[in-house]
Amino acid sequence: MTTANHSSPDNHPPDELLIGYSAGSLPLSQALCISAHLEHCNTCQRKLQRLNLVGSALMQQLQPSPTSARLKSSILDQLDNLIEEQTPPPSGTDSSVPRCLRQFIRGGYHNLNWKRVSKDISRIELCRDNNGARVELLKIRPGGAVATHTHLGDEYTVVLEGSFSDEKGLYQRGDFLRRDHNDRHTPVATHDRECICLAVSEGPIQLTGFFSRLLNPFIRRTHAG
Amino acid sequence: MPLENRINSDPNAVRNTYHTPMSTTVKKPAGGGESASLGVCMRRVAKHRDKDAFAKLFDHYAPQLRAYSLAHEPGAGLVADELVQEVMIRVWLKAGKYNAGLSSLNTWIFTLARNCRIDHLRRNKRYVTTIDPADIFNDIEDENPGPFQQAQISRIEENIHAGLKELPRGQAEVLTKVYLEGKSHRQASVELELPLGTVKSRVRLALKKLEVLLTR
Repeated sequence: MTTANHSSPDNHPPDELLIGYSAGSLPLSQALCISAHLEHCNTCQRKLQRLNLVGSALMQQLQPSPTSARLKSSILDQLDNLIEEQTPPPSGTDSSVPRCLRQFIRGGYHNLNWKRVSKDISRIELCRDNNGARVELLKIRPGGAVATHTHLGDEYTVVLEGSFSDEKGLYQRGDFLRRDHNDRHTPVATHDRECICLAVSEGPIQLTGFFSRLLNPFIRRTHAG
Repeated sequence: MPLENRINSDPNAVRNTYHTPMSTTVKKPAGGGESASLGVCMRRVAKHRDKDAFAKLFDHYAPQLRAYSLAHEPGAGLVADELVQEVMIRVWLKAGKYNAGLSSLNTWIFTLARNCRIDHLRRNKRYVTTIDPADIFNDIEDENPGPFQQAQISRIEENIHAGLKELPRGQAEVLTKVYLEGKSHRQASVELELPLGTVKSRVRLALKKLEVLLTR
């Protein structure tokens, strides 16, 4: 099947997203996906380091704006009373959960209150972003398939455990995918183990199979809710 | 104001624009020697909790941080002072975590400033989400072993500084929108009245010229 390919070819976030991450302008839900990917990817970490150097150089080239002596002395006066808040990692945190997700996942993936949505798939919503994007985890049974679908908005996915494939390739732990309305895909988990993904969707998905299409009105309703 | 003008501006003009009765002297941009001495200050702060060294860091970075905040919210002096305070306090508290082998001091300060800006936007309800930016941005750059050596970082940094001066005005303008004003590509395209594709390609071209993005 040929569709316009707007996604990154090699399982990494497109540069545009890394730039937004570095500049601090990405919606936090997208930043969450980038962060989960970065923990696994030295290539993107290195690129991010270079992008941060650009931000830093631009900041240095701004005309400095003088600060008041009062601000300086007030900050210096505070120093002795400052105590760094040490937030110890919550006990029982599973080290295989990316750091950026531990705010939502206290134990491991298996302690979560998964909701089964089909024979092969369970999901749990972690939160919503300001732009309405839904941040969730999806769990696909070994060999299980997600109904063929397209997206009304962009969807960002990071593989956290296991692996899956779709029409475009195989995605393994740490891999990042962006899919938009041009992409129709049918993700299938590999047979050896279940697959857990972080998924951020900015609009409801649109099922394209004949029978599953009948479910679309329900999906739209759950996304709006 | 176009970036080129800022870069080549006369230091006296800076004072005239920003002079207030309480202002302190404006520092010149860091040269090699100065950044080395800032590194020494940083180590003193980390190891000896040296307040004089911290005051030197403040004198150098606070005016930059204030300018960074004003680029995003022009005229918002209180917000800018708040950002200066937040960042400088983090510098004091996190001094022990700063790793010179991971990033230059300038870049570390930039990432702190960026994180504080995001946090500020969130606290002021422009972000109502429960996602905590501290967990997204703070740890990776601080703790993971850095793929670059210090010498490499300095070389790339010098390239970027030199390259920025050579950038065509249009490319410098989009980089400013994206990095300093914190605009998305889409917002930049609206404000600059340019097609989205043009904004994206200018950003890419600029970053390629700075040798930050390599051609795939």
